Amino acid sequence: MGAIYRREMQSYFYTPAAYVFMGVFLTLGSIFFGVGNLAARSGHVPSLLAQLSYLWVLLCPVLTMRLIAGERRARTDQMLFASPCPLTHLVLGKYLAACTVVGITVCLTLVYPLLVSLYGTLYLGETAAAYIGLLLQGCAFTALDLFLSCFGRSQMTAAALGVGVNLVVWLADALAGAAPGLAGKALDFISLYRRFAPFVRGQLSLSNLLYYVLFIFIMLFLSVRVMDARRWSEA
Amino acid sequence: MISPADGGSGMISFQAVSKRYGAHQALREVTFHQPRGQVLGLLGRNGAGKSTAMNILCGCLAPSSGAVTVGGRDVLLNPRQAKRLIGYLPEQAPLYDEMTVEKYLEFACRLKEVEKAAIPVHVGQVMEKTGLDSVSGRKIGNLSRGYRQRVGMAQALCGTPEVLILDEPTAGLDPLQSSEMRALIRQLAGEHTIMLSSHILSEVQQICGRVIILNRGRIVCDRDLQAKTEEKPPLRALIACGEQALLPALRTMKTAGDIRVERGGEAGLTQVVLTPAERGETERELFALLSQRGWPLLRLTPVEDSLEDIFLRAAAEAEEE
Repeated sequence: MGAIYRREMQSYFYTPAAYVFMGVFLTLGSIFFGVGNLAARSGHVPSLLAQLSYLWVLLCPVLTMRLIAGERRARTDQMLFASPCPLTHLVLGKYLAACTVVGITVCLTLVYPLLVSLYGTLYLGETAAAYIGLLLQGCAFTALDLFLSCFGRSQMTAAALGVGVNLVVWLADALAGAAPGLAGKALDFISLYRRFAPFVRGQLSLSNLLYYVLFIFIMLFLSVRVMDARRWSEA
Repeated sequence: MISPADGGSGMISFQAVSKRYGAHQALREVTFHQPRGQVLGLLGRNGAGKSTAMNILCGCLAPSSGAVTVGGRDVLLNPRQAKRLIGYLPEQAPLYDEMTVEKYLEFACRLKEVEKAAIPVHVGQVMEKTGLDSVSGRKIGNLSRGYRQRVGMAQALCGTPEVLILDEPTAGLDPLQSSEMRALIRQLAGEHTIMLSSHILSEVQQICGRVIILNRGRIVCDRDLQAKTEEKPPLRALIACGEQALLPALRTMKTAGDIRVERGGEAGLTQVVLTPAERGETERELFALLSQRGWPLLRLTPVEDSLEDIFLRAAAEAEEE
């Protein structure tokens, strides 16, 4: 797993992938901060983080699209499958590398609360809870998009599929109102926004934490299953 | 099927392996055992099942039925142990263009579970063996086709696997690069059990000790090429004498074996093929007979059964079936 993790990290930082991801995230984040905090003279960081969380929907597929689909396209997956490295380690190594980039990006946004604390009042507990939510949200979308990267060989297809599914999962609670009965309840349950909102309010709930952990676990488990199943069916 | 060349279990063992992709049967009940230290060539037309067999052997694909073992370890039941014994060079070398050769090989070593402290020395040895020292710091994406193939071979050698699986290792290389790659494979043959596939029959004949020909997923020929060279090849003789007089005289020879006349030559000349049953003094006895009768011998050549002959015959037999 360590070998896969290291290679993915090298790949992220030897190519523009991580820089594009972090650059776009921080540029848009700085615009949100300038407009929502500096211009509005507001020291409320959780509302900024709530806006930043939208960016995961669009940017996480950029980070994950090459993880599996890119390997399949370049045929480098054969080297990985022929190695003694189990599929579980392979998926975990790739996932942890992507999460590290997400984590570094989140860490770089700490400059915003730092500026707020220098020139105003920072509500530390509320901000910390919102940061935990933002990180978990990023990790959940990364796991979902890694799973979607297992389908097909094209990175563009994986990215487009990722953005589409992310939007559905993000806005599922809004769609739930329009869907009748059990479907509405199911959509409401899978909504990641509904799980994220309490963190922005400064609430750390065990059920929401467990939801994220379970969501990530299921996505990684399904990724392993899809890759294993392909060994039996693929020409 | 022409003849089985080997029995018993070996370093690589396929036992009634079949693979189906939907309605397409890629492999049908393939069974063979490959002893340690030999070079096995897999031959066959496109779609014959060569790459499928190799992918199953290295665990990239699972067989629909049957069992595959490497060094006695089942690839499906004990994949980790089996894969530790395997180095695989797929048809398209699995390379990361953004990495340097050295970093890539270090990654391959970690993937093959080479001890951390031994990696720098091991990478150095592998690069020396494959002639990559001069490009160790260059990005793989900037290398020529020949060097890229060498890097692919080098990653297969990382971890010093007992079995090397090489899927068309000379495909896309120019004649000089192909020749260098063949020389490298011959050099490695003493240290590893090698299984390679190729479209080039002469290449297989040069490198391999044994050849298996696949047709539509079935083994149609399994031939030990080294054993073949120890056998007495048939002799083709062109003699200045009429067939009517020559044949009774040849039949008096003790070591002539089976005698076949090849017609269609010039009048007054007869071309015959003698197939001795065992090694003997056929040439000596033939010279003695012809000089005694005063019949000039114009040409005498051993009839080599080329791999192309075997391949075409096996394919024709399979079509007839």
